[in-house]
Amino acid sequence: MSTHSSETLVVRGACPQDCPDTCAFLYHVEDGKLVEVTGDPDHPMTRGGLCVKLKNFAEHHYNPDRLLYPMKRVGPKGSGMFERISWDEALATIKSKWTDIIAQYGTQAIMPHAYLGHQGTLNGLTAGDAFFNRLGSTVAEKTYCESGSSTAWIMTVGPTGGMDVESLAVSKYIIVWGMNMLNTNLHGWPFVLKAKAAGAKIVVIDPVRTRTAKQADWHIRIKPGTDAALALGMMNVIISEDLYDHDYVEKYTLGFDQLKARAAEFPPERVSDITGIPVVDILTLAREYAGTQRSAIRQGVAVERSPGGGDAVRAITCLPALTGAWRYPGGGTIEMPIWEFPFKFDFMCRPDWIPPGTRVINELDLGAALTGAMPLDPPIKSLFVYNSNPVSQAPGAGTIVEGLQREDLFTVCSELFITDTAKYADILLPATMQAEQLDIMVTWGHLYMHLNQPAIAPPGECVPNVELFRRLAKTMGFTDEHWDLDDWEMLRRCYDWDAPVMKGITLETLKEKGWMRLDVGLPDERTPHATGDFKTPSGKCEFASSLAAGGNFVVPVWRSGYEAMQPGTPVDPVPNYIPSVETMMPDGASAFPINLVSPKPHAFLNTQYANEPTQQRRQGEQIIVIHPIDAGPRSIEQGSYVRVFNDRGAFEARAEVSEDVSPGLMMTNVGHWPGLNRSGTAVNSTTSTRHCNLGQAGTYSDNRVDVQRV
Amino acid sequence: MTHVVTDNCRGCRYTDCVASCPVACFHVNEVRVYIDPAVCIDCSACIPACPVHAIVEEFDLADDQQHWIRINAEAAQRYPVIRARLPPLDGADARRQQLGL
Repeated sequence: MSTHSSETLVVRGACPQDCPDTCAFLYHVEDGKLVEVTGDPDHPMTRGGLCVKLKNFAEHHYNPDRLLYPMKRVGPKGSGMFERISWDEALATIKSKWTDIIAQYGTQAIMPHAYLGHQGTLNGLTAGDAFFNRLGSTVAEKTYCESGSSTAWIMTVGPTGGMDVESLAVSKYIIVWGMNMLNTNLHGWPFVLKAKAAGAKIVVIDPVRTRTAKQADWHIRIKPGTDAALALGMMNVIISEDLYDHDYVEKYTLGFDQLKARAAEFPPERVSDITGIPVVDILTLAREYAGTQRSAIRQGVAVERSPGGGDAVRAITCLPALTGAWRYPGGGTIEMPIWEFPFKFDFMCRPDWIPPGTRVINELDLGAALTGAMPLDPPIKSLFVYNSNPVSQAPGAGTIVEGLQREDLFTVCSELFITDTAKYADILLPATMQAEQLDIMVTWGHLYMHLNQPAIAPPGECVPNVELFRRLAKTMGFTDEHWDLDDWEMLRRCYDWDAPVMKGITLETLKEKGWMRLDVGLPDERTPHATGDFKTPSGKCEFASSLAAGGNFVVPVWRSGYEAMQPGTPVDPVPNYIPSVETMMPDGASAFPINLVSPKPHAFLNTQYANEPTQQRRQGEQIIVIHPIDAGPRSIEQGSYVRVFNDRGAFEARAEVSEDVSPGLMMTNVGHWPGLNRSGTAVNSTTSTRHCNLGQAGTYSDNRVDVQRV
Repeated sequence: MTHVVTDNCRGCRYTDCVASCPVACFHVNEVRVYIDPAVCIDCSACIPACPVHAIVEEFDLADDQQHWIRINAEAAQRYPVIRARLPPLDGADARRQQLGL
């Protein structure tokens, strides 16, 4: 803490959001009130600026709709009628309900539901894992996002951080593959611009002409879910034209012959038919990529959001090993560098507490799990939701709402606001916002570690998640030492402070400086895999994955540290193109002719801030972008209100007629609160709960719909 | 939506905004800078950087300032992108004082 002026106290913090940029904050506090939150000008990623999503971050803490006290439901489920109660009553009610459920059905009748509504070490993804593992609840697989990519990455290169986003500044050829960086990785973009100014070519592969695509030297429009075919097609050209790095392949890769055989199945003509990309572009892309050293691929999460998405990430991740791009600073690929942080998952999640044989239910199957469509013994009798909002964010929202309406389901939500999900709770618990709590923020987008120090007191009776689970543990009679540790002690035990990458980093130095870079080399010099050193069983980049023998798996961090009860479905050791189910239906085979993709919004962070009036103005109402060829016959004009529907559900939106999408493709955004939309629904009323081939990820982009004017 | 550079920039052209912009959306001529609305991503990083408070988010424009939206959009098409800070114009400090800033 330092004194900025005579009245303003400046406290260091970091952004809590599920975003690869994890900005370093300066909280400005006057008379105990948070008056402004700005970006740290000295942080190499943040560079003094936050983003459109965080514009009202200080005011957000004082939003009059904030949940400030525990509440109990006093009206019908979903009515939003609640009455204030004490923490004691809330905890006593939970204990009483759970004790009865456990007596009758066992502990697995209770299921947590969480994701990355907060990204902190203490209060984020794994905040409740130790508690629910200790309780013996069903293990919830949290695969909303990234899980398919995680499995694919680990199968191919192991848990390595890969390339540093800052190294893009020295790249000469950058492919941004399935990511709208200007919306979702803004603070990575200056490094792309720096490379561009030094002569690098910027290629964007995306089905939609996004803001990012418009800034690129070359936008390649690809049909959603066909990325693996393109990557294999590039390999076909690179291998058949002998553009690959023989020495690198021989020394540092495994399974080249098998990959060569697979790539041979993907000549450019076939790939063109699958992806919709002209043959000449496939040839040019492959030749330029292989022929330009210091080539980088920035992979986005969109790649995994199709049934074959896992193999697409594997195929793309093979490319820099084939061309030897890893030899050079600015060469390689970026997926999620979080693997560099020496997190002690075993301490945080306590998988040792999971009773052997405990079942796993995937969170994206929530609707089926609650409604009985998925046969379960015991059934789910209680759901505990924190850091997530499945009614908006999970696929198949209609079924989830149906499940949440069950009178015999006891639902508890820890929340900031009464969201579309929290509305169905029996008990609401108030959670703190970021300026009110202590945490260490690491990130899935760069290599800095941040300490977020509380700048203001929590309002009302809000508590951080870490304290919530302490209270629940004591309420349930758990006497383990774990529940007596304070936040600082927890943080001490959450990391391996002696790991080589933590050189110079301690809680004390973080307190003083706010953030520090891991000791992993400098961005313009760093070559993590110049001589192999992959974190796979073989130590090589595994074109043919040795982990495939165990079948499909979810990386334990996404499932409370649990190793057992993995899906285990067969996985081809060599990446393949697995066609989407709906997108690739031949014309006429589906009653729903248009494919709908639903990337992240510009001014909201998933659903967060979507209840702020100023952010609603910035984002605008729910829209769909539709091509004139699809709009015309439906009498849809610019600004028309339309109903988008399929056999799973419907939502309404305003149409933007534009050639930014291709014929047969529409785009909308996820994140608008269903309850604030015209139809009371949003895009996930139409999405399918099918899983990606790896890591049980969602397949939000494989969604056929029709649209009509209303 | 976008951000716009209003009249205060004319004659100053401090260009601190350019250094703070993550997307290179500023265009420059002899007397001032403009924002390309197709490139601006609304992050507001430039607003506090400007010593003469010339940059305004579209929503915050007063009624008599609305014309700056069109002026920025059109000028951004005519003038080149500026990627690095330039020295302020001669007389910038005097104009700043004149503006009371």
